Amino acid sequence: MGGKSISKFKLSLIAVLSLSFALAGCGGNNSSNTAKGENKPAETTAATAAGTEDNKIEPFEVSIFLGEAGQQPTPDNKIYKMIKEKTGASFNFEFLAGDLNQKLGVMIAGSDYPDLMTSNTKLTGAGAFIPLEDLIEEHAPNLKAHYADYWNMMKDPNDGHIYTLPNYGAYNGKMSTTYYSGPAFWIQKAILKDAGYPTVKTLDEYFDLIVKYKEKNPTIDGTPTIGFEILNNDWRNWGLFNAPQHLIGHPNDGGVVVNDNVAEIFADKDYAKQYYKKLNEMNQLGIIDQETFVQNYDQYLAKLSSGAVLGMFDQHWNFGKAEDSLTTQKKDERTYVGLPLVFDTNTKDYYLDRPALNLNNGFGITVNAKDPVKIIKLMDTLIQEDWQKILTWGIEGEDYQVENGRFIRNQEQRDNAVDATWKLGNKAEAWYATAPKLQGYFKDGNSTDAAAQPEEYKAGLKAYDKEILDAYGFNSYVDFFSEPEPNPVAYPAWSIDLVEGSDAKISETKLNELRTKYLPKAILASPSDFDKVWNDFVGEIGKVNVKAYEDRINEQLKWRFDTWSVK
Amino acid sequence: MDEILTGKKVNRHPKRKKKQPITMTLIKNQKQLIWMSVPLLLYIILFAYVPVWGWTMAFQDYKPAKAFGEQTWVGLKHFEFLFTDDNFLRVLRNTLAMGLINLILGFVTAIVLALLLNEIKNVMWKRTVQTISYLPHFLSWIIVTGIVATSLSVNDGIINIVLMKLNLIDSPILWLSEGKYFWGIVGASNVWKEVGWSTIIYLAAIASIDPALYEAAEIDGANRYRKMFNVTLPGIKATIVILLIMSIGHVLDVGFEVPYLLGNGLVMDWSETIDIFVLKYGIAQGNYSLATAGGIFKTVVSVTLLLLANWTSKRLGEERLL
Repeated sequence: MGGKSISKFKLSLIAVLSLSFALAGCGGNNSSNTAKGENKPAETTAATAAGTEDNKIEPFEVSIFLGEAGQQPTPDNKIYKMIKEKTGASFNFEFLAGDLNQKLGVMIAGSDYPDLMTSNTKLTGAGAFIPLEDLIEEHAPNLKAHYADYWNMMKDPNDGHIYTLPNYGAYNGKMSTTYYSGPAFWIQKAILKDAGYPTVKTLDEYFDLIVKYKEKNPTIDGTPTIGFEILNNDWRNWGLFNAPQHLIGHPNDGGVVVNDNVAEIFADKDYAKQYYKKLNEMNQLGIIDQETFVQNYDQYLAKLSSGAVLGMFDQHWNFGKAEDSLTTQKKDERTYVGLPLVFDTNTKDYYLDRPALNLNNGFGITVNAKDPVKIIKLMDTLIQEDWQKILTWGIEGEDYQVENGRFIRNQEQRDNAVDATWKLGNKAEAWYATAPKLQGYFKDGNSTDAAAQPEEYKAGLKAYDKEILDAYGFNSYVDFFSEPEPNPVAYPAWSIDLVEGSDAKISETKLNELRTKYLPKAILASPSDFDKVWNDFVGEIGKVNVKAYEDRINEQLKWRFDTWSVK
Repeated sequence: MDEILTGKKVNRHPKRKKKQPITMTLIKNQKQLIWMSVPLLLYIILFAYVPVWGWTMAFQDYKPAKAFGEQTWVGLKHFEFLFTDDNFLRVLRNTLAMGLINLILGFVTAIVLALLLNEIKNVMWKRTVQTISYLPHFLSWIIVTGIVATSLSVNDGIINIVLMKLNLIDSPILWLSEGKYFWGIVGASNVWKEVGWSTIIYLAAIASIDPALYEAAEIDGANRYRKMFNVTLPGIKATIVILLIMSIGHVLDVGFEVPYLLGNGLVMDWSETIDIFVLKYGIAQGNYSLATAGGIFKTVVSVTLLLLANWTSKRLGEERLL
């Protein structure tokens, strides 16, 4: 070997290296993703399905992107193992890490989608999902039956196709609930007990209770008592924005109030002013937390978890973590009761609504899915009652018992059901949360949601809660609210897709900006300045193209009314 | 060869040697070098130049699902939206203000800290101070803003407690609710997080100064401060200028994280930057074209500032980047 051949060898080595660098740079995203996707589940399925492989059942894998942070189920998860054995399907979940908009942007830019993704208007807009109606008609009789009443509602208003399968809100039979997760004025249970279990109907009564309690208890467990919290952070802005519509007896329609299918914004209306004026007065009395508009979500949760916050306007699910923490600290008296407040007693409260179909959620099959038929067939299998029982209650004898036809759990099983670690190995939560599901009751009369089974709910109640419910003569905290009327056909307006980048969307963004800026100012202003700030606010709203926003909503309400009414 | 002696003007910047003509032999002789540069060249082209193609999005109503040929061209529509929006001027002002505050504060504090650290003779102590001061650099902004928000809290925030104990204020101040404090808070947070890290490069520069200069200064009777001003500072001048020019190019990058995470409705008029504006009206609404237009605007301004700084520096006879 002469020097020349060595240099040639070196040269080609460099060339190969440089090429591989360049290629690695190019294809990084794609290749690594798919490689990961193929390796991991292969391992897990090999581990779980060993020995039980049935020849007739062809194993296949569904890759899923969930638009929320979450935890991977354990490889030997009981339920997923069962699904794998019976249907051949194994799941490969990708949970959101970081910012959703950013992640979606990257996915859309590269058309890099897994088989299933959680619904999002951005994805639909980008053409990431395939139309499902023919697939369902042909291959999924159970799904078709499940969604029969909602078929028209599921159609995308922009082109009339069904792209996603809503996960919540498709009820079979009556709805059942013992847990209210929506918006309300929340108050500590201790206050109600202290005041001798009064019936609180109006905003004024509510604040009277808080003022009195705060005077009596300047500190709670050593922390200065905070009368009222308002969270207004990023997208969690309803704590500040949404109360006025409820106070005049309207359900949650987002940024608008709908009368006879005509929507208008309420931010600048007199009843809104009345509410913020009340908050302004309360601020003068030192009831409202000084830091309320400066805090972020974590700080808000931390304050609630301390047990020192007497009340707030919020949606229950938004502060569930804080309540869990209070329960863990054994501060049951510091957890909250939701009150459906109105301005005056002549108004009937409308906080509790019949759950509407949640259109902006659920799964859609992407254009990249290799075998949409298999996936829709899988979903069709899993929507059947026997599977739904496994997915919600678990496995009979292990996770619950049947006594006289009623499903019931013992204490250990109940504790398991709220244990996050146990759930990773024994529940198919990541799948179940977003998949189509039965809600309400099974044919045998048991509740589809274990926690909503009346016996279960009673058995799980704390002594303190029993005391309060008995005092009021209620079965659950939901009874504080009026029984909801059937929803208006087009309800709720907040689920209307404003179309990305449209004038309507820009107006909405501007309105939110103005509200975020001026409402805190108005609340914190000295009472003599309140009117001035309010007038500035109304003036600024006048400059926004509110009409574009209202028009889009009204057009969609009308569309819904026309399309959804026909059955 | 001196001017005085010869009376001729001396060319102090002698021209480089005449360019060697590129011949086949030269290429052959340097083929290893040429090959070695290929990957880097490819890398730069791929990641720095190809993406510029994406700028075309700013002149379209970009829809992700469509191919390039199917996009609608809208000319300068998105730039018009940017420049005609009432908020944009305010947002630009905030970006520039916070950028300059960060730049100047960051520079001054880093240089001062480097000078002071340099004077410490106890090595252990010097190392300790240095380590403590640069550790915050490794925290992410989300954590730092959490710490900042907690320290500024009215209830048990350390800042308010200290100020109260020192009798500087009568009642706790709600720092994050007042627009006038916001830029300062952002600047201070930046200093807290980055000062130790930025100091490192100056310390390195200081270390390369010839000790003979210090000895000479000492013999001439210079005290510590004289030495600092007349030896150390001129010694690191080149580093300072180069870093300054480079940072000026990043003035508009102040960001997103700090103002976004610390901002709230009450200080919105002071806290919103171009990046936040672009996020709100561009990315969050799926309006990628507008987001691109915002990005282009930032780039153009940044490049202009950079060139301007470079040019000024050249005029002043200082070091320069280009």
